[in-house]
Amino acid sequence: MQTEQMNIRLSQDLVQDLDVVSGLLKVNRSEWVKTKLAEEIHREKNRLLMELSTLYAKGMITKQNVEELVGTEIAEEMEFIKKTAIESAKMGAEHGKTFRGKLKR
Amino acid sequence: MGKHLEENSKDKFIFDTSAFLSIESIYLLDTVTDLFSIITTLSVLRELENFARHEDRLGIIAKRVLLKRNRFFLKEAAITERLEYVSSIDEELFNFAFNENITLITDDLKLLRHTTGKIKRGFSTYFLTDFVYAGMFTKEEALVKLEEMRDIRDWQENIIYLSTKGVLENIED
Repeated sequence: MQTEQMNIRLSQDLVQDLDVVSGLLKVNRSEWVKTKLAEEIHREKNRLLMELSTLYAKGMITKQNVEELVGTEIAEEMEFIKKTAIESAKMGAEHGKTFRGKLKR
Repeated sequence: MGKHLEENSKDKFIFDTSAFLSIESIYLLDTVTDLFSIITTLSVLRELENFARHEDRLGIIAKRVLLKRNRFFLKEAAITERLEYVSSIDEELFNFAFNENITLITDDLKLLRHTTGKIKRGFSTYFLTDFVYAGMFTKEEALVKLEEMRDIRDWQENIIYLSTKGVLENIED
């Protein structure tokens, strides 16, 4: 996995708290911060994409808007899922219509 | 088992692991297997067994699916059409759907993407609109089932939910 260095300045109080946590858990403090940061980023990314996907699925924003905010890959994924979900539902509807006829027979 | 499948006149669908889990999550597998011939592969069964080893929500659903294994058909598919970027399990499902012209039900986005234009396929939400139009569910019942299916969701499942909801809500009573 490729990595990139980020320099973050933390207050002394926060560093002291971090020392307490890492001391009690007996873990390396950098590793602990990395894990917690990854968890929080994942959660927040999912939450924000959920909001964005709601707006997109409801037609309140366009694919282009999504693309501007989060890039082409996610915008295309959203478009594909929406299109496929609507197609699935419509295919199911068509099948249901013919199946209803079979059930009556 | 194979002979029996060829002889029956029920409409056929092929399920992957995600389809079984989604359909059974809303307790629809009994109905679906009563009405249609559901086909899958041994590899999918193995995947369900792996899920069933865990005591989480999906594991519990997988256990319920496995208890019903006599309700669906296990088939092997020769891989004649290669499909890039997907697992051999998915490739086998694709080949079966392709060769037999059967609709593949899956919630696996990667599989759906790479089979675009090659076979008929749909999300597991397919059966909700199907059952409304077949007169087996009211629109409201289908919407409740859809919400149940949405329980464990991420942003991708959120789009499936909202898009299907839109179609269901537009069905004229």
